[in-house]
Amino acid sequence: MNYPVWQLDAAGGGLLIALMAVVHVYISHFAVGGGLFLVVTEMKGIREGDRSIVDYVRRHTRFFLLLTMVAGSLTGVGIWFTISLLNPAATSELIHIFVFAWGIEWVFFTAEIVSLFIYYYTFGRMDDRNHVLIGWIYFGCAWMSLFFINGIIDFMLTPGAWLENRNFWSGLFNPTFWPALFFRSFLAFMLAGLYGFLTAVNIKEEQLRLRMVRYCALWLMAPFLLFLASAWWYRASLPLDLRSLIFERMPEIRIYLAAFTVLGPALMFGGLLMAIRMPRAVTRPLAGLLLLIGLMYMGSFEFIREAGRRPYIIRDYMYSTSIRTADMERVRQNGLLSEAKWTGNSSVTGENIADAGREIFNILCLPCHSIGGPLNDIRKLTRNYTPSGLEAKINGIHTASPYMPPFAGTADERRALAHYIGVNLNGRMDRQKDVALKTIAEDPVPEFDAEAADYVLLAWSDMGMKGMTDASNIWMIEPPGVTVNAQLIRRGPTPEVVVNGVTLSYAVDGEFMHPAARVSFWKNAQALYNVEIPEDTGLTGNGLTGTMTPGENVFTAAMLPIVPYTADNVFMPYPAVTLTASNAAGEILALTRVAAPISTELGCRVCHGGPWKVDGRSGITDVTAANVLEAHDRISGTRLQALAEEMGPVLCSRCHADASQNAPGNGEQLNLSAAIHGFHAGFVAGRGSFYCVLCHPADSGGATRAYRDIHRMLGLDCNYCHGEMEDLAVSLLKAELEDGKPHAADLLQNIRPANFAAIEDIAPRRPWDNLPDCLHCHLDFETPEDDTTFNRWTAGAEELYRNRTDESGMLRCPACHGSPHAVYPALNPYNGNRDILQPLQYQNNLFPIGANLNCPVCHTIDMEDELHHGNILRMFRNQ
Amino acid sequence: MDPSALIPATESLQVPWGWFQFLLVVTLFLHMLAMNVMLGTAFIAFVNLLRRSGEPDPLSREISGKIPFTIAFTVNFGVAPLLFVQVLYGHFLYTSSVLMANFWILVIFLLIAGYYLAYIFKYNYEPLHGGRVIVFGLAATVMLAVAFFMSSNFTLMQRPEAWTRCFDRPAGLLLNFGDPTFIPRFLHFVTAAVAVGGLSFALLYEFRHRRGDREAAPLVRSGCYWFSFATIVNFGFGFWFFGSLRPDVFDVSTVNGILAAVLLLTGIVLGAVSVISAMQFRVMRALVTVLPTIFIMILIRDLVRTAYLKPWFSVSDLEVVPQYSPLLAFLLFLTGGAVLIVWMLRLAWRTIKAGEVQS
Repeated sequence: MNYPVWQLDAAGGGLLIALMAVVHVYISHFAVGGGLFLVVTEMKGIREGDRSIVDYVRRHTRFFLLLTMVAGSLTGVGIWFTISLLNPAATSELIHIFVFAWGIEWVFFTAEIVSLFIYYYTFGRMDDRNHVLIGWIYFGCAWMSLFFINGIIDFMLTPGAWLENRNFWSGLFNPTFWPALFFRSFLAFMLAGLYGFLTAVNIKEEQLRLRMVRYCALWLMAPFLLFLASAWWYRASLPLDLRSLIFERMPEIRIYLAAFTVLGPALMFGGLLMAIRMPRAVTRPLAGLLLLIGLMYMGSFEFIREAGRRPYIIRDYMYSTSIRTADMERVRQNGLLSEAKWTGNSSVTGENIADAGREIFNILCLPCHSIGGPLNDIRKLTRNYTPSGLEAKINGIHTASPYMPPFAGTADERRALAHYIGVNLNGRMDRQKDVALKTIAEDPVPEFDAEAADYVLLAWSDMGMKGMTDASNIWMIEPPGVTVNAQLIRRGPTPEVVVNGVTLSYAVDGEFMHPAARVSFWKNAQALYNVEIPEDTGLTGNGLTGTMTPGENVFTAAMLPIVPYTADNVFMPYPAVTLTASNAAGEILALTRVAAPISTELGCRVCHGGPWKVDGRSGITDVTAANVLEAHDRISGTRLQALAEEMGPVLCSRCHADASQNAPGNGEQLNLSAAIHGFHAGFVAGRGSFYCVLCHPADSGGATRAYRDIHRMLGLDCNYCHGEMEDLAVSLLKAELEDGKPHAADLLQNIRPANFAAIEDIAPRRPWDNLPDCLHCHLDFETPEDDTTFNRWTAGAEELYRNRTDESGMLRCPACHGSPHAVYPALNPYNGNRDILQPLQYQNNLFPIGANLNCPVCHTIDMEDELHHGNILRMFRNQ
Repeated sequence: MDPSALIPATESLQVPWGWFQFLLVVTLFLHMLAMNVMLGTAFIAFVNLLRRSGEPDPLSREISGKIPFTIAFTVNFGVAPLLFVQVLYGHFLYTSSVLMANFWILVIFLLIAGYYLAYIFKYNYEPLHGGRVIVFGLAATVMLAVAFFMSSNFTLMQRPEAWTRCFDRPAGLLLNFGDPTFIPRFLHFVTAAVAVGGLSFALLYEFRHRRGDREAAPLVRSGCYWFSFATIVNFGFGFWFFGSLRPDVFDVSTVNGILAAVLLLTGIVLGAVSVISAMQFRVMRALVTVLPTIFIMILIRDLVRTAYLKPWFSVSDLEVVPQYSPLLAFLLFLTGGAVLIVWMLRLAWRTIKAGEVQS
């Protein structure tokens, strides 16, 4: 932020420092362990009176000198150059904090050079005692270099008390100083054996070669147990949160952890192999191979340590973006562009969004991400995201990926960054204009003879909009299934709800009659539900035509196998069902039609990649679905991708309870709603309903536009009833926490309530039981004084709008008021009258049944008593 | 754009800036000496080989054996001043380094290449035959390139007004060509290195000559010629460099200006004396005068930086949050290290006396 940025692009992402550092540490550890190897081996030769060993040491010293003095020391300086170019702010911090530690290290470095030159160039000339002494001095100086550098490196990982007292010695002798010192020392001794192989296999005399190769194998293997013990100590010394981050919550480094676990024994095995008498044609390449494995071993450790430090460059003090933790809030408030010194733009405007985005990218992303390079390629990592999805991802980047720093900037800057990455780097766009709907002609309104008709048939769908995931090749959240309810009322001054002696049949419109040809659900049903489900039949056994099941006062056709695709594979989320009531003689008593809404316009692809499945507007492709599983596996440590490969598609509700499907889950995982909202809330905070409709099919410019009733027309969005995403997620997670699901706490810690001061202020709620209710705003059926209802929930499923009745206990609320999200008056986006067919049929208006004093619809006469609920006998308020 | 808005904030010091300034000047002096010997002798060996079409000669053979040592100590002695300059001027140096990052990081790879070329030269002097010119030419070129980039960075760091150029092109590709001091400064420093390189081997052969090596005398003279000629030429480059500097550097109405002027005059006089001494083949006297000259030039170099940065920054502005124990530890280790090194060198010297060590 303080400095200009070196735009490495493809060579960025830490590639340069990784190459420089891995080579350097591999050689510099050899410079330490190899130093001990030299002097101890020389002593062995002297002690045994075997000059051939001493001669071998001399030859090995030349190799040692050429490697450590040139490549070792210059890559060390190279690391310094590199970090000062890639992260000058952190380099400056380290220089200023540890200038005298670096100075001391320089003193030892100088003594190393002098002693090594003397050691090599006086071989065979200086008396043994002094020569060995010079060898010991070299080793002592090399180890002391390690001593001080180790302190500085581990300070970055665990600054410990320095954070409080800013004391040089607290920083140097930080909490992991000693275990890391032992860890690195033992590793250095092992590397001495590994490098020793390289020269030992080239000894011409066979017996000596075998002896020295075995001697090197001993160097490799003998310290291993001590090395493992120090590794365990190192691990145990890490603060708990850091340990959990490295070993549990950072999927990106699992490969390095695995490599570190496997390569150690591989080296030991290699050491044993080398000890066997073998021809040089075998031992030479084997020695090279072992050196390469050693490099990978060392590299794995360094990657783990570096990754473990994230999202900081100096833990709890400075983020890897060079922004101090203490400055973060100020940067978020004032904006990165105005706080940074080296930017051409000081704020984001419509015109400079790409350029500003690039500048933000340079400061915040380039330190760790390349553009198209081999390390941390931003294109590869973000290719699945639309700009909007990316904006959400950036918003909560630090929650799902605790190794990423929180975004340091304003909302405008976040959008600019998402725009730059999404549009300029990846070429992905958000929807630029409203979806052109393939509208259909208005339905003919079923006939109703107000004078002669004996019956009124009222119907509704219980959800108003049912989401359906058509990704059943990979996984299944919501199966096809729309539940339609109906009440048959015998008209008269004292109307009667009829369920006995009549039959209610239903028939889905013809163009939706073969859903099995449209979606793969029926092919996968056996794998998903372990039952055979005939094609075009729903989970409850209902087909596309049939008879409704009578209940106490209501007829139900549960889970009709409707999908939102016509026979021509056109997306149409509002199929209609014709209901016919007839008596035992088959005489038709009443007929009506009702919308059975169902949509596959679920926006997983916004963040999980892939196109829409059907017609560029709806459906989840296998590409998108597979990425969802990949993310789940990566973040939650599951193996769902493998499971899907081996055993077929994954049924989400098998683990995650879903009351809407009567699925109990496995009792351990969060319920589906809490899990999904709880996880994503960390990302989609702060944009109100904008993010609701990224996933749910209610975008007013989308292909479904499910929210289509009077409340939308009055300007109320999702948040008025359901609350902001953050608050909604907190409410769900709190209930799960009450139910003993500890994982809820993990997610809760990532969420900051939107409209409440604290999490404690938000009431817990269980999905599908505790929902907002009309009467929370419409107190006593009066004009609302408040237009937000969050934090007031129905007590249980029986209180839900769709299940509740009027004061007579006979009529369900939606029978007169319409389906949820489509309460009368509603405007269907595809077919203007499809959601208001019954008001039109029975009253010739758009309003709830009985509104505008239309009591005669059922009562055949005007009424004076407010039997159904208060405030009913008046004209509809929002005409 | 106001360049002052681009200057990064920096961190506090643990001890007053004078400590770092002192350590910077002293260690830079060591680095400059080693660098001059390295670069100068490499250049001279290359010219010698070139003149003889690659045929072996005693001087280039001698230098081939010593060059890895001089590179090692040049690098090593470069680490300390680079550390201390970052403490005082890091926020300027990091900025200029990033602005020329592609070239700056190249320095490391050039150094590695140069170092290994020097070892190839050393261990394969005879078998290389005609390849000697190529190998050593490459090594000398690499060293010159490193010096060129160093000069660019250390001049760019003191010119924040030039930093705004980075907005016209991606950061990482700037060199300080817009600075009129850059080229004469580079030439002045490189020519000085050639002179000191000549004097260094004159000194080496002077010791041998005193110990009875009759063949050493011509090489003493040769070294003195190289020193004298290069230094005379360098007076020219020096005046060019002087003329290119901003007038305020030597503004005698300021303390810094007076100091710089006095030091410059002293340096010129000492330089002239050293040339006269070398032309008389009085190597020790030349050495005694040239060492303080180099030290004076380093001080002037520092005063130039102070003057150039004056509109933006002064080291006395740096906040001090005292912590003296790390300094004390450093001084103890430095003393101990120096004693240890001296002891080792004496031990090695005794061994050398017993039989010339072939490096």
